[in-house]
Amino acid sequence: MSGVMSFEVFSGGSVTFDLATCAKCETKACVVACNVPNLACVLELKDNVPHLKVTQEEAKRGACIECLACELACMTDGIGGITFSLPMPEWDELIAGAAARGETPGFQRS
Amino acid sequence: MARLLEFEAKDLLRKTGIPVPPGGVAVTPEEAVAAAEKIGFPVVLKAQVPVGKRGKAGGILFAENSGEVLTRARELFGKNIYGYGVSQILVERKLDIAQEHYLAILSNPATKTPTLIFSRHGGMDVEEHTGGEGIATYNIDLLQGLRPYMAMDMLKGAGISGRALPALTQIAVKLFDIYRKNDCLLVEINPVAMTPKGPLAADARISVDDDALFRHPELGLDEGGEVGDRPRTQIEKIAALIDAHDHRGSAHFVQIDPDGALAKAEGKISIGFDGVGTGVSLAAMDELVPLGFLPRNFCDTSGNPTASKMYRITKVILAQPDIEGYVFISCLSSQQLDNTARGIVKAFLEIYPDRMPNIPCVFCFRGAWDETAIAMFEQHGLTRSPFIRVLGRDATERDVALAFRELHTGWRAQRTAGAQA
Ligand code: SF4
Ligand code: SF4
Repeated sequence: MSGVMSFEVFSGGSVTFDLATCAKCETKACVVACNVPNLACVLELKDNVPHLKVTQEEAKRGACIECLACELACMTDGIGGITFSLPMPEWDELIAGAAARGETPGFQRS
Repeated sequence: MARLLEFEAKDLLRKTGIPVPPGGVAVTPEEAVAAAEKIGFPVVLKAQVPVGKRGKAGGILFAENSGEVLTRARELFGKNIYGYGVSQILVERKLDIAQEHYLAILSNPATKTPTLIFSRHGGMDVEEHTGGEGIATYNIDLLQGLRPYMAMDMLKGAGISGRALPALTQIAVKLFDIYRKNDCLLVEINPVAMTPKGPLAADARISVDDDALFRHPELGLDEGGEVGDRPRTQIEKIAALIDAHDHRGSAHFVQIDPDGALAKAEGKISIGFDGVGTGVSLAAMDELVPLGFLPRNFCDTSGNPTASKMYRITKVILAQPDIEGYVFISCLSSQQLDNTARGIVKAFLEIYPDRMPNIPCVFCFRGAWDETAIAMFEQHGLTRSPFIRVLGRDATERDVALAFRELHTGWRAQRTAGAQA
């Protein structure tokens, strides 16, 4: 298994699974995490890798509730096959320009 | 509250059929001269900034000829009015005003209706001049709308008669039309200038409900417009983007002390703050402030925000310059606190890959899925840091403040020791 499975989320961002890595993962913790009660249940296991069981459009419209359970489960119990990207370009610019403004963002202070 | 500039507000009035003075917008002094020559002298030059009381701040100047327009426009373009730089000037014909009235429709929280307000005395400081006297109000039934006879009755009661009565009635009805069509919180004409040619909207203010902005892209307003009477800080604008198109829970963020000057003046320590619910935020601040900590920001992340929203707002809070800590506290909340925690944890893991925050941080989760939320910090190694403490449902706001003070004292001591070594 190779390639990626990827979908976009409502708030702007995307979830990407590296299928070669996921195929080797024994826990499939992301799928388990997505399928607990009260969560959205949009992931399933198909051909031994995570698969989206709703359409891309449905996922983007909010079927994926952006709970991040899949990503955090992968961090503790998986082998790092997921990338949950939630871009904030304006924040990146703010941080990049802080020094020029003579500021130190709180999380970077010494 | 997103607010249109005066010329934008007047444009809406004009399109709805409410008379406004002839004028043009200029972005350079030369354009101001050209606009004035087209309109005819004398003219008034008005700085286009989204705040009231511009006149008092020197934002409204008069000119009799082209030379004066050039000088005054140059003066205005260099000005900063209540935090807003002047980049646009409205040039209008100076009016021959016999009398000034006040007319507005506002969303009235007391009556939960739009309220039509009229005062015979308009102009600057209308509230102070009238002391509330002579102000007529009419609460509008949203289902019925504002019918001409309703406005006319009110205006008559306020002492308006003759030709002014139907003219002002028409303006009031059209004002309501603008209010409804644009999801406004306030539509105000102050003053309504009574001239020999009839009433004109000499100045106008239109504020739109932030939560309805997505329905009005044609207005060109963004949620990052203003906070009270000051422009939003860069960081507030970034925070506003998080909520702009995603209404799953809130991430309402406002800087109480944007540059830390208040904390400095009061001898307090500036910290980042996030609360699930406004009440708990106030209660927590009441405990933190006497202990010497002043939240640099207020943030309300309630209504079950997505974890992605929590991730983004946490990054925003932690980006505030020079904060010496971070406090998160939930009320006894029904929102899914595990979602809340996931967003915070993702932000912390990204910002602190070594799981060692550079500032003291206290988290307090109380309510639904609180134990799962608390466990998450341990699972991801964040509780290994001596400067993270995670509290649960038994903790009070006071406990949170005291825990934060304890961490902060240790953090300060370690820094002092490090500096001396
Ligand atoms: S837990 Fe991680 S590595 Fe395992 S299948 Fe899911 S995403 Fe892939
Ligand atoms: S974010 Fe939540 S709903 Fe979306 S895929 Fe991951 S676990 Fe499922």
